Amino acid sequence: MKSEVQSWLDERFGLLGITRFLTHKKVPLHKHTIWFYTGSAILLFFTIQVITGFMLILYYKPTLELANESVGRIMTEIPLGWIIRSVHSWSASFMIAFVFVHLMSIWITKSYRKPRELTWMSGVILLLISLFFGFTGYLLPWDALSFSATKVGTDIPRAIPVVGAWVTSLLRGGEDVTGDTLTRFYGIHICILPVFLFILLGIHIYLVQKQGMSLPVEAESRGEKVREIPFWPNFVYREMIVWLLLVGILLSLGIFLPPSLDKAADLMAPAPEGIKPEWYFLFLFQTLKIFPAKILFVTGETLAVLLMIFAGALFFFLPFIDNKPLQRKGKIITGAAYILIIYALVMSIWSLL
Amino acid sequence: MKLKHSLFTRRQFLDGLIGGWLGALLASFLYPIIKFIFPPYREPDEVILAFSEFRDISPNSVKTFAWGSKLGILKKNDDGSYWAFVGVCTHLDCNVTYLPDQRKFFCACHDGWYDERGRNIGGPPPKPLRRLTLVIEGDNLIIRKESPEGVS
Amino acid sequence: MFGKRVLVHMVLFCFLLVSFGPLLYPAQQTVEELQTDTAQSEEESEKIVASPQNIKEETGIFVFVGWMWLSICVLVFFLRLKIREADRLFRLKFFSDEKE
Repeated sequence: MKSEVQSWLDERFGLLGITRFLTHKKVPLHKHTIWFYTGSAILLFFTIQVITGFMLILYYKPTLELANESVGRIMTEIPLGWIIRSVHSWSASFMIAFVFVHLMSIWITKSYRKPRELTWMSGVILLLISLFFGFTGYLLPWDALSFSATKVGTDIPRAIPVVGAWVTSLLRGGEDVTGDTLTRFYGIHICILPVFLFILLGIHIYLVQKQGMSLPVEAESRGEKVREIPFWPNFVYREMIVWLLLVGILLSLGIFLPPSLDKAADLMAPAPEGIKPEWYFLFLFQTLKIFPAKILFVTGETLAVLLMIFAGALFFFLPFIDNKPLQRKGKIITGAAYILIIYALVMSIWSLL
Repeated sequence: MKLKHSLFTRRQFLDGLIGGWLGALLASFLYPIIKFIFPPYREPDEVILAFSEFRDISPNSVKTFAWGSKLGILKKNDDGSYWAFVGVCTHLDCNVTYLPDQRKFFCACHDGWYDERGRNIGGPPPKPLRRLTLVIEGDNLIIRKESPEGVS
Repeated sequence: MFGKRVLVHMVLFCFLLVSFGPLLYPAQQTVEELQTDTAQSEEESEKIVASPQNIKEETGIFVFVGWMWLSICVLVFFLRLKIREADRLFRLKFFSDEKE
């Protein structure tokens, strides 16, 4: 019966080519194979975000007056709404955490070497999209903390010379964070970003399939033959185990440690104590804080932001910078990855103290 | 009775077991999702209004009130008694209006007509307007769902 | 990679994480606290705490989480059998030139 369905679809879609490709796709088994699980984990969490997001859309009201109240209604009146919101919140963190892990694993294993440069670059854009998802989503409950964090977060681009004020105004929908900012962030979060994400994801996944899985640098340079297993069904069964465990952990955390909701933001109130962005921005936040107010003729903030943009550019073009992976330059770049991980961890923890 | 050949291979049995259990797990995820998407709509059991706002309307006229999220119509009859209706047409849910000169309720959507007692007399409506019971206690005008025996 | 010991450790870790999670945050778990907590915290800190609305919902949730972990253990057990089988078949070159 299965093959009847398959041939019916194939007569119309021409799916046999895809299924044949999938069954012939091989996954190499080497010391870096474990990191291959991070990609589908990200997709898993994103799918959960879409499903829980669709559900939250049914009741959330994206206006200044009703946003906070509608989230409260979801949490108290709608049956099991608090679980849906909690899972959406936790899955966002899981997704971004896995994006970081995925990214660092590619960096450290140097999987971005030719011909995978575009895969890396599309991946960096996907990272930015994911972070922007998190940033826009964080404002939507419109409570005191998220309002203030957004005020701070959208103020930072102002430090960029020439275009800074324009970027801030674009993000906020005006001079200040208002109901317009909320509506704008909502539209970006549920419509604009998903469109861009799907486009970039399509490119990213197509490239991964087209080019196949990478090998460790040493193995490739020595032309070693590496043991392989078929993607379907062998690798997929292994991925399913990972998905099951991840879903179990996610739902358990979502049910037993759900987020609460503070009262609605007041545009005229003083900033609450302990403003902080979501955990994935903490290290950047702390970096900004350690820069002195003024250095020579520029503000500390301008310098910090420019440095971050410069670092971002290096990051984006990493595959081209790391063109001699096996030599000293390559080893320094690998070392830089570890330094970045330690730096991010230290700064994040410091910002919480 | 012993079968000559087994109905399933061991592989098919195992696949069925995995598929079935996975399906059950996903179905259990589906339950809270369905409950979330279709929240229970609760009509109020009763609505309490200030009688002072309804006492002074003239006979053969109506005043509206909120029956949950639906339209409620309080009608003062010629003899001073009151009737309460759910002002929603029984045809396709449009809100009705009362025409005092004709002593009829009218639904503009598809030309539906009800007499002053709410009985459907013309057009597509299949049933009379829903009656609600009312009790006056002091200044409280309490409107409740119709009791099973019906109200005359 | 998914040897029995590793897997049992992973599942045990997940289970411990889940079962100690409630202990770390007791305010949301007991019924008595549920009944007073929501009313009080709403007035005092004007914060809405997410929690089940009644004891029926709370027991339902515990049952669901238990069922979910049981299912995960069962499915992982069977998936490992499938993996072993698929690897064996691959080694026997069963899959070469097959459309499945």
